[in-house]
Amino acid sequence: MSLRVENVSKRFGTHDALRGVTLETLDGEFVVLLGPSGCGKSTLLRIIAGLEEPDQGAVRLRGRDITALDPSRRDVAMVFQGYALYPHMTVAQNIGYPLRVRRRPASEISSEVEKVAARLGLAHLLRKQPKQLSGGERQRVALARAIIRRPQAFLMDEPLSNLDSRLRIDMRAELKHLQHELGVVTLYVTHDQVEAMTLASRIAILKDGLLQQYATPHEIYHRPANLFVAGFVGSPSMNLLPGQVESGVFRRAGLSVECSAGTNRELTLGIRPEDVEFSLTEQAPGWTAARVWVTEDLGNETLIRLSLDGAFVTLRAPAGTRAEIDSLAWFRIRPEHVHWFDSQTTVAIR
Amino acid sequence: MKTILKYTAALLAMAFALAPIYWLITISLKTEIDQFASPPLWFHFTPTLRHYEGIFAHDAFGRYFLNSLIVSTCSTLIALALGLPAAYGLARFHWPGDWANGISFWILSNRMLPPIVTIIPMFLMLREVRLLNTLAGLILVDVALNLPFVVWMMRGFVEDLPREIEEAAMLDGESRLGVLLRIVLPLVRPGLAATAVFCLIVAWNEFLFALILSQTESAMTLPVGIASHVTQYEIQWGAMSAAGVVAILPVLIFASAAQRYFVRGLSLGAIK
Repeated sequence: MSLRVENVSKRFGTHDALRGVTLETLDGEFVVLLGPSGCGKSTLLRIIAGLEEPDQGAVRLRGRDITALDPSRRDVAMVFQGYALYPHMTVAQNIGYPLRVRRRPASEISSEVEKVAARLGLAHLLRKQPKQLSGGERQRVALARAIIRRPQAFLMDEPLSNLDSRLRIDMRAELKHLQHELGVVTLYVTHDQVEAMTLASRIAILKDGLLQQYATPHEIYHRPANLFVAGFVGSPSMNLLPGQVESGVFRRAGLSVECSAGTNRELTLGIRPEDVEFSLTEQAPGWTAARVWVTEDLGNETLIRLSLDGAFVTLRAPAGTRAEIDSLAWFRIRPEHVHWFDSQTTVAIR
Repeated sequence: MKTILKYTAALLAMAFALAPIYWLITISLKTEIDQFASPPLWFHFTPTLRHYEGIFAHDAFGRYFLNSLIVSTCSTLIALALGLPAAYGLARFHWPGDWANGISFWILSNRMLPPIVTIIPMFLMLREVRLLNTLAGLILVDVALNLPFVVWMMRGFVEDLPREIEEAAMLDGESRLGVLLRIVLPLVRPGLAATAVFCLIVAWNEFLFALILSQTESAMTLPVGIASHVTQYEIQWGAMSAAGVVAILPVLIFASAAQRYFVRGLSLGAIK
């Protein structure tokens, strides 16, 4: 246990930003806080950093209660969305700043700065001002400043969101590798689920200040805890079809699927696009007819959206699959991949 | 055509602004007879430096000049040193409700009171602490005069800085005071320079308090000194004008040196 958040709540005016969130990380873990904007993920990060005070609850770092500690004394480093470089200092001064504050000797600072700069490919930029750097370079400087003093935890608040998409993918990989090398527990805030899936050893999904699920990317994807997680993670997102279960069969307009998850109740069927089979010719039994609403050729696969009595079913078909819009087609839901959710409580039924 | 009109308007405005200065300078260079020639001698007169020699020969003028320099620099520095932390606190700390704005407005409202209203209490208070006729007393008064302005201006400049930069410094291990001194101070320098110029000009030109609170030569400032050329028997126009010209110079030098910051500082505050 290296970082632990216990029952943390925070309210801004009448808005509950966080409601009793509890979270625990293992040593060296890469935890991503994921959620839509306004879900409280940044607030949680700022509370861990000490930039906000929680209304209740505690933050512990390696067993030490740091809830009331000043940000400067927590021994955590943070990378901000806007990088927050010091505009009046050179790159070298920016990177060396955490050591200068700690009054380390100048010779040690400059040798450390050179080491870290070399590691992040910044050695040739040390004399420049932040405003002379590109977005990717600024990002690296911010990272260098965070790692130079080997803190007990890294906090990152959407650090890649200001970069263009290609650079973002490169930096993502670099960041993951760097974090692995350093072995320092990292909390990373993002609203980008692909970033979360690729970086995290565990993902904590937040919505309206409540923790929805805290699990590995694999489990989040394959065993979503509720309707929100099911719909939020995955692109294109999971098909969610509300309906009724009677005597072992789930029914909704135009569709019936066998269901053993109780009887006489309102359930929502969830199925990933890759778990829906597609055919242009009539098949039977177990296949359902629908109209093609739109097709999207992505090169390596084709996304097909079918219209089924006012609902849509999105599926992944092999590359090169052609279907005319408004033509009749057939699909089959693979029953072994169906997720069931209680329509009222939204909780998954297992 | 439009440009011609524009330049004509600008020239007229400039002539209007500079005419008194021109008048002041010419009078300071004219003999008493030329000063009152009618019609006025605009250009054709024999210049004389007699009035300048006169004021510099008179010991007290140097004294006044030095006093003014001490009072305005010290009061400006103190007002900045006190005002910046106050502005920072108002801009950044958590205040219940709308207190930050309330306090700021109250601070500014002190400037709305006509100074003459406070002059008797000021006189009595300074007499009580034995600061009448001292430079320290005048510095104190000028600080009080300038402080609201410093707080008000600097609050805007601090609020314009991205909060993230300060938060980054705190997480890097910096204390609040360290953030103020090593991060905020260097970043608000243009605003600070603009504010300093304003304060210096106010303190340099301050007449009312200086007149009432310093009645001995040792603590008199330049404006009071210049006014003392209006005597019971005559008005020494030449000496007064020469002293006026000399009094303009330091402000002119300082303002032009800080001009780069000045314009930037003003517009920075305005964009917000």
